[in-house]
Amino acid sequence: MEKPLLEIKHLCARVEDKEIIKDLSLTINAGEVHAIMGPNGAGKSSLSYVLSGKDGYEVTSGSVTFKGKDLLNMPAEERAREGLFLSMQLPTEIPGVVISNFLKQSLNSILKHRGKEELDTISFMKLLRLEANKLNISQEMLKRFVNVGFSGGEKKRFETLQMALLKPDFCILDEIDSGLDIDALKTVSDGVNSLRNTNNSFLVITHYQRLLDHIQPDVVHIFADGHIIKTGDKTLATQLEQNGYADFIKEE
Amino acid sequence: MVMQISLKKNKMQELPLVKDINLYLDEKPSVYALRQKARQALEKNKYPIKKIEAWKYTNIQPILSSNLKFEKEGHICTNECCHNHEKSSKIEIRFCNGKLHIEEYNLPKGLIIKSLPEVLYEGEYKQYLFNSFDIDKHPFAALNGIYLEQGICIYVEKNTKITDPIEIIYSQNKSNENQIHIHNLIILEKGASIEIYEKSSSNKVNTYLINTINEIYLKPDSCLHHYKKQNDSNNSYHIALNSIKIQSNASYKQYYLSKGAQISRQETAIDLQQSKASAEIYTAYTAQKNCLTDITTNINHLSENTYSNQYAKAILEAQSSAVFQGKIHIAPDAIKTEGHQLHKALYLNENADLNCKPELEIFADDVKCSHGASCGEIDKEQLFYLTSRGISKKDAINLLISAHLQEIISLIPNKDIQEEFSY
Repeated sequence: MEKPLLEIKHLCARVEDKEIIKDLSLTINAGEVHAIMGPNGAGKSSLSYVLSGKDGYEVTSGSVTFKGKDLLNMPAEERAREGLFLSMQLPTEIPGVVISNFLKQSLNSILKHRGKEELDTISFMKLLRLEANKLNISQEMLKRFVNVGFSGGEKKRFETLQMALLKPDFCILDEIDSGLDIDALKTVSDGVNSLRNTNNSFLVITHYQRLLDHIQPDVVHIFADGHIIKTGDKTLATQLEQNGYADFIKEE
Repeated sequence: MVMQISLKKNKMQELPLVKDINLYLDEKPSVYALRQKARQALEKNKYPIKKIEAWKYTNIQPILSSNLKFEKEGHICTNECCHNHEKSSKIEIRFCNGKLHIEEYNLPKGLIIKSLPEVLYEGEYKQYLFNSFDIDKHPFAALNGIYLEQGICIYVEKNTKITDPIEIIYSQNKSNENQIHIHNLIILEKGASIEIYEKSSSNKVNTYLINTINEIYLKPDSCLHHYKKQNDSNNSYHIALNSIKIQSNASYKQYYLSKGAQISRQETAIDLQQSKASAEIYTAYTAQKNCLTDITTNINHLSENTYSNQYAKAILEAQSSAVFQGKIHIAPDAIKTEGHQLHKALYLNENADLNCKPELEIFADDVKCSHGASCGEIDKEQLFYLTSRGISKKDAINLLISAHLQEIISLIPNKDIQEEFSY
């Protein structure tokens, strides 16, 4: 039986005076991978911020239910603890905050929320090294400040490492393919694919069908002007790659 | 002679914080004369008021009206106050509630440590006392001189290099409302090199004044790393004067972490006296709610090819005040010198007060100088990144606060002290 993990109903949201999400409805079941494709400025990243609870993104109407709970009432940290993860398009650099400290604090706050035992430094570092190895992240990199001076590939591998550690139920991957060369794209996609199971879901935001060859979606949505204008299977992405968005937007 | 002095004593003015008491070694005329000289300086110049430029932004009225006592009983600490103080290879000089805790130090060759009364009595290092600054310009140093009794003299012989830091620990754990005055001399002979680590703290929320002077003399090619961690009670007052004379090719580096005290002032006055003398001052401070933190520096470039660099980072909590005054003076002969100064503040709340006053006085051509100041709030993108990973807003803000100071702390060459400075 399909159980909805995330249900968005008639969602409208704005930033300052600008309407960015307009009557969006979308249901994602556990175990599914949905892709969202759309032209620049369509509001794809805004959707990811609205869902993850960033300040300044104001929901004006509609509802979002996550694992049966009202997501919109939770502050950002609670959404994360409940199992929502946003892999950011441009991960923020935080000078002065060392990766290992950050990840330990992050993981322990999530474990605590779920009523699990927090990890001490030794067992945390063991786990961190293990997961980092799988993603070709060196021990040296773990001593660095969060995202500071990282290449595009390093940033995305670091986002993937966080997913592997925090084990979220629902991941939004906002252009996880941007800034990646072919090898890095494969490392990151393999990392993401290894995390897929029947209980978690992914929302993959991308411009390019290429990523969807690596992370195969169950459903593809075309997103324009703040809402979904067409939904189909993965052949929709191929169609889009050949003809561009213009046809679909006109169709609407 | 004694008669005259006591006659004078009767005519003395009433001054806040000055009590008529007999101190250890008062019977020794030369010591008594030093104390009287200091008293006359304070009577003449009075305590600083807001009209005095150097104290314009730092209101010391709460200190003056506090009516703090001076505990004259016992000029040394003989209590079992440090029972949890384990024997270690480190040299730890302790002042318990302002009184030197007498213990035997395991001193390496070339290092001499004497208590201030020994210096006052024997006279060997007395020439260095009140010799590095003008007592008329430093009222709290004059107050310190009136009570001249507590302190330590660290003398390092030629070419002696000691890598383990010498710790000077001031612990103010009594509930008595006391004033504490400590006067240290640090003298490094040619080519000597040491590290000094001062720690001032209290385990209570008690009221006291700790007023320290460090007179530091760096002879040619010597090198001093001076660490200081100030974590005094939030009801206390911490006033410190560091006066440093630096000769050719000698270098001084100060790393100061400040987070306690209701009013604190760390004043550093440096004379770069000879060619290639250098001074670096790195400060990380948190101005807490309802507290005032004052960082004042005066760097005099008196000779050619001298170098100074000052970098301070601040956290300003709600309803806090901070004063950053940095003066770089470059004398006419001091060509090819470099002097830099930078202050970066992070506001946690709009309701904080920062007075930032850089001053450059340049009387020479061919010099490189810079100064800058910036202030900002917690970065919203960084805050979102951390909270979106499950870290509470409060913890995330704390992470970003320590990250702000981490840039200064990461400059500390001694890794153990670096760790102690990290929050």
